[in-house]
Amino acid sequence: MAREELVVRALVEMADSLVGDFDVVELLTGLASRCVELLGISAAGVMVATVKGDVRLVASSSEAMRVLELFELQAEEGPCLDAYRSGEPVDHLILNAGSDPWPRFSVAALEAGFQSVSALPLRLRDITIGALNLFSVGVAPMSESNAVVARALADLAAISIIQHRVADEHQRTNEQLSYALNSRIIIEQAKGIIAERAGVDLSEAFDRLRGYARDHNRRLTEVAFAAVDGTLDPDAWSGARAPRGPRA
Amino acid sequence: MDTTLWRAALVTVSPAGVLMAGERHERVLAMLSAGSEGKVSARGLCEAVTAVLGVNGTGVMLMSGEVAYGSLCTTNEITKMIEELQYSLGEGPSVDAYNQDRVIAEPDLADPVAARWSAFAAAALQVGARAVFAFPLRVGSVRLGALGLYADRPGYLSDDQHADALVVADVVASWVLDTQARAPLGGVAAALDSDADFHLVAHNAAGMVSIQLGVSVAEAMLRLRAYAFGHGRTLTSVAEDVVERRFRFE
Repeated sequence: MAREELVVRALVEMADSLVGDFDVVELLTGLASRCVELLGISAAGVMVATVKGDVRLVASSSEAMRVLELFELQAEEGPCLDAYRSGEPVDHLILNAGSDPWPRFSVAALEAGFQSVSALPLRLRDITIGALNLFSVGVAPMSESNAVVARALADLAAISIIQHRVADEHQRTNEQLSYALNSRIIIEQAKGIIAERAGVDLSEAFDRLRGYARDHNRRLTEVAFAAVDGTLDPDAWSGARAPRGPRA
Repeated sequence: MDTTLWRAALVTVSPAGVLMAGERHERVLAMLSAGSEGKVSARGLCEAVTAVLGVNGTGVMLMSGEVAYGSLCTTNEITKMIEELQYSLGEGPSVDAYNQDRVIAEPDLADPVAARWSAFAAAALQVGARAVFAFPLRVGSVRLGALGLYADRPGYLSDDQHADALVVADVVASWVLDTQARAPLGGVAAALDSDADFHLVAHNAAGMVSIQLGVSVAEAMLRLRAYAFGHGRTLTSVAEDVVERRFRFE
């Protein structure tokens, strides 16, 4: 298959998996492996910023300890952290312990067998959320056409991470909406139960429900749920009030 | 290689409203928000949807799991009845669109393309609907309910109406979530509440009937629904009789 076809196929495959439910770590691990296959490099990793402002590894093309450690080191220094903080790419750099900006990182990378490194920020419009790190055992920089593909893969990683966060947020909001509506339904059911038990109207039933919850320091929905469940104290609907004053 | 091409493709297949682009989306969004001055009510949105799609009425049904909560808004008495019937009977286009997660079209309730909704179809015809359509409301993998449309004449939606309705359903679903995202903790956003019918009286009645019959609230709700169906009435009117103590289950 022609190289361009391979690139297009990889991009389409990944874009396709963005629809609906997807596992973001699986997708990014696939993306890291594609980087190695398509860009003529040796290892790739996707790092994402934490709330503390450092970067953590979320996916790597390699599970080798020596490679994983290189990412771990970058919580403090390294091309990923620089690309994330500046929002700009860290261009291809031949590692040379002692004369580059990340002494500890360089030593470890050279020991792991890598000669050169670059990093691309993960960015969607104005937001930078992490960086894509590329390692090579050779010293040659990426070709111009590979650099374009790398940029496309970094963009895709950024979109998938943001998409995933948005989906999580939507899920939470929907759960909150369901919770609020379910609570309301249970309260209305409890009003009906108390109204029927006590032979009062709905607004009196609600007053009794609320009064009981207040007197017993319990949440309204909790008391309503007990009424629906049949486990509520008959005092709750008889209108008997707890004695005033300090409670045990 | 030119990256703008795949970028454009990616943006159009993206399920979340935030990343959606395209001329149709822009146009529908502009039409829906025209005159709203940035403040959209559920009722206003439903009316705008009706105008944009050129149908006779719109209802937005909110659902979760097995539970139908009710309607966020309806545009006239007929849509109100269509929504109410579906809530009472547990069947109909919006219920199917949500449960089956696909678009439902019935171009002629008087001569249906599929044998379904044995109770709903006749009742909906009687209140003045002829063709009914429903589009799932979803944002990514989150399913919220269904957008229900009706026409008083038989016929399918045109390709253009159909395509617009898909976009409208996306916009409505995103609006629901965006609105709820700003709600106080534990509550329902005021804009989702103000025009809604969550059938609270039916839940009051279910509570009362559960005591009258000595059954669970869920069982009481089933009995209320069965009674309404058996007597050709809506759940709401039966529930109102129970709550006003004009009628008891013995």
